[in-house]
Amino acid sequence: MKVELRRSFDEIARVVGVTEAYFLSAGVDPNLRTAVDLCIEELFVNMVSYNRETDSNIDLEMNVIEGGIEVSLTDYDVERFDPTERGEADVDAPLENRTPGGLGVYLVLKMVDSIHYEYHDRQSKITFQIKVS
Amino acid sequence: MFVIDFDEKGHVVMSGRLDAAQAARAQEFMDHIAGACKIDMSDLEYISSAGLGVLLKTHKRLMALPAQGDEHGLQLVNVNHHIHDIFRYSGFDKLFNISAI
Repeated sequence: MKVELRRSFDEIARVVGVTEAYFLSAGVDPNLRTAVDLCIEELFVNMVSYNRETDSNIDLEMNVIEGGIEVSLTDYDVERFDPTERGEADVDAPLENRTPGGLGVYLVLKMVDSIHYEYHDRQSKITFQIKVS
Repeated sequence: MFVIDFDEKGHVVMSGRLDAAQAARAQEFMDHIAGACKIDMSDLEYISSAGLGVLLKTHKRLMALPAQGDEHGLQLVNVNHHIHDIFRYSGFDKLFNISAI
C-alpha cells in the first residue's frame, strides 16, 4: 500500500483512515495500531517541520511482514536529516527542567522493533518495523 | 476527530485523537484554564508528542500558581492503557497525578 501525502498536518487524519483500512484489509494485528499511528505521525511531522526546502509530496508505504508491519516514509529533494540521531530526551528531569517538544522521535525509538534511515539522490527515507511482542 | 470541552462539574473532557493537527486548538482551550484542573480522558483514544506538549505547557503554568487546597496543576483521570504507556515512556507519570481507567 502506497499513498502520497501533502506537506500539511491536515493529512494526519487521512493517514489514520488509510492505516485503518490497510490494517483491516491486510489482517494486521489491531494491537499494533496505536504504535504505528504514533510513529507515522511523529516522523511525518518531523519531515514537514524540518525539510522546508521542498514542496514535494511525501510517500507513505506499508507492507505486512512476518509478525507485524513495515512502514516507510520518503521525502524528496531534501537535505540529509536522520531523525534517529535526535532521539535523546531526559524523561527523568523534574518539571521545571522539562520543555514541550523533543519527545516525538524518542517515542518512535521506544515503539519500533527496528528503524533504518537511508539518504541518496536527495531522497530521505526512513523505514521502521513493529511486530507483535 | 478531537473534542475538548467542560463537563457539568467543570472538569475538562477530551475525546478522540489529540494529534499535531489538533494541538493548537487544544492549547488555545487550555490557555484559558486558570487553576487546578482535572482532565477526563476516558474517551481520548490517542495522543502524540504534540498533545503531550499541550499538557506539559499547561501543567507547568498551573503548577507555578498557588495550590488550591490539595489540588495543584493538572490531574489526568480515566487514562486508557495505550495512553498510559505513552505517559510512562515520556516520564509524565512522575510529573502528573494520573489515574487509569
